Amino acid sequence: MGVEHSTPGILLLLLGFLGPVVFLIRRACRGEEIYVKRIAGVDAVNEAIGRSAELGKPVSFTTGLTSVSPVLYACLGVLSHVAYRAARFRSKLIVPQYNPEAMAIVEDVVRDSYRDARRISAFDPQSIVFLSESQFAFASGYMGLMHREKVGSAFLFGYFAAESLILAEAGQQVGALQVAASVSPEQVPFFICTADYTLIGEELYASSAYLSREPIQLGSLAGQDIAKLLFVLLIVVGSLIATWNSIFPEAAFSNLGTLIRYPWSSLWEGVP
Amino acid sequence: MKSAEVDESYRKRAIRAVTFLAGLYFFLEFLLPESVLQTLGVSAAHSHISTGFIVVGTMAFGLGIINLFRVHGTKVVFRRKDWAFSFALLTGLICMMTVTGLDWLSGLSVTEKNAEYRNLGLFTEAIVSDAGSSPEEGRVLPPKQVRLAKLIEASHRLAQETGSSLDVLTDALPSQLKPEKRALFQQFSSQLRGRITTIVAMTPQELSSDEEILSFGRYLNETGVLYEKLLRMDYDVSLIKKVYLFFFEGLFVSLGSAMFSLLGVYIASAAYRAFRIKTVESFLMMMAALLVMLGQIPFYEYISGDLPAVRQWLLEVPNTAAFRAIKIGAAIAGLVMAFRMWFSIESESFSQQGGK
Repeated sequence: MGVEHSTPGILLLLLGFLGPVVFLIRRACRGEEIYVKRIAGVDAVNEAIGRSAELGKPVSFTTGLTSVSPVLYACLGVLSHVAYRAARFRSKLIVPQYNPEAMAIVEDVVRDSYRDARRISAFDPQSIVFLSESQFAFASGYMGLMHREKVGSAFLFGYFAAESLILAEAGQQVGALQVAASVSPEQVPFFICTADYTLIGEELYASSAYLSREPIQLGSLAGQDIAKLLFVLLIVVGSLIATWNSIFPEAAFSNLGTLIRYPWSSLWEGVP
Repeated sequence: MKSAEVDESYRKRAIRAVTFLAGLYFFLEFLLPESVLQTLGVSAAHSHISTGFIVVGTMAFGLGIINLFRVHGTKVVFRRKDWAFSFALLTGLICMMTVTGLDWLSGLSVTEKNAEYRNLGLFTEAIVSDAGSSPEEGRVLPPKQVRLAKLIEASHRLAQETGSSLDVLTDALPSQLKPEKRALFQQFSSQLRGRITTIVAMTPQELSSDEEILSFGRYLNETGVLYEKLLRMDYDVSLIKKVYLFFFEGLFVSLGSAMFSLLGVYIASAAYRAFRIKTVESFLMMMAALLVMLGQIPFYEYISGDLPAVRQWLLEVPNTAAFRAIKIGAAIAGLVMAFRMWFSIESESFSQQGGK
């Protein structure tokens, strides 16, 4: 507290980004068709689970260093799908965990998926394994698990840091088909080098909608694209204003950044 | 509707309501100006609310430990496959928890001794400030002289205890210390003995002015700090500290470093796989990597003097542009996901995914 975090401009931007999302969620819920482009990495999710079932090997799904956050919820949509399929195909599912708070939620989601697949008796709470809250202890635990269980497919979804390559190499060494998705751009190159399929940034958020075809998720995905378009528009307008201001400084406009930063007090005291 | 279904319905509604209210609180706390939050009294309550969230998070930590005991305990008890690994893990966990707990208690007892002196120092400040102001309504304070007598009595008792403790330390500790630490111990212990003598010789009559009382308070504080330094020397050579250092720095940190060092090998093997030119994209990636690597090493001078500039351009222009694009996309997607969580649109969909 004590810091002014936001301004009326931020509120307007938030409304601008979320407005299309709400609109398209409503449209999707009314049954209108929403187009989602094909993502090879997401198509590979089903392929990887099927491969594990054919080989009779376990499926592994880790959320890496993800804590309770929007990223975790994006991962849970995919985990739910993977757990459902693994249950239907009678494949063993292993979910190594780093964060105990996330683990409780993960366990609940996996149990629900087994119940939906009418295989609740096959659900083993011990398949959700808490390894460690220390980054490299988690990585070493994960490596050991991959080698001991000889997994057939591994999913690495969520937030990863320096341990990303260690985790992905462990899967590579046991010959697992790996699908990785990270919101941290720094780790994407490591996954591209090591995993069979990599989802980059927002594709992680899109994967759940793509797999489930659930109207709310599809609607919000389409809304996100419009929000991004708005963002690009702002970048273009901002660039044009900046260019104008540098060419004609005597007739300069206030740029968008300045407008967004006007504090709340400017509403009743007047724009400076 | 069955009773269980009604319960479940209420449970879901309660979760949604709590999620919405918590989201609303943090949204408004972020959005509204400080002056409005102060008027509403939110600023004053914010630290308590944040502490509440920390408490909930701390409670969840216990879940991790319970899970470890459940998963690995079962393996050990029923002698399942690879039970020896689980046994090693549980033994390590129990040892580390015990040693850390004992180490924390030892460290606490060291600071507690200093706290007793610090409290007496605070008491001197209270005596002076209370004497200069009228007491609050309903609060009866003893006369200043009585409080000074109590201060001196407590100081004498504490100084005598410190003297006894110092005798024990002087007998046992120096032989365990390294020469430079031993010299430091001799210096501190002789200073502390001098201070103990001064405190024991102190009488209430010597504290006639406020300045003398406050000065005595500062003297007590400094004595406490000196005493803590000596106790810490003893604590540093204690068995529990050595065992803790062995477990933490000797094993945990070293093993973590060993895991991290694996990255060196893995980067080479992953790069070898990734840079096999099979497609146009992998050719472009290979070329970009080659230019960045050549621009980084001194060898570039033999090829072209422009390579560092090319490397810099690749990193600052196309690379940064791609990074920003990923971050903007992920940030907007995260914002939308947070919005869905806030209004509990997301949580419902996990168990009702139509595409299964």
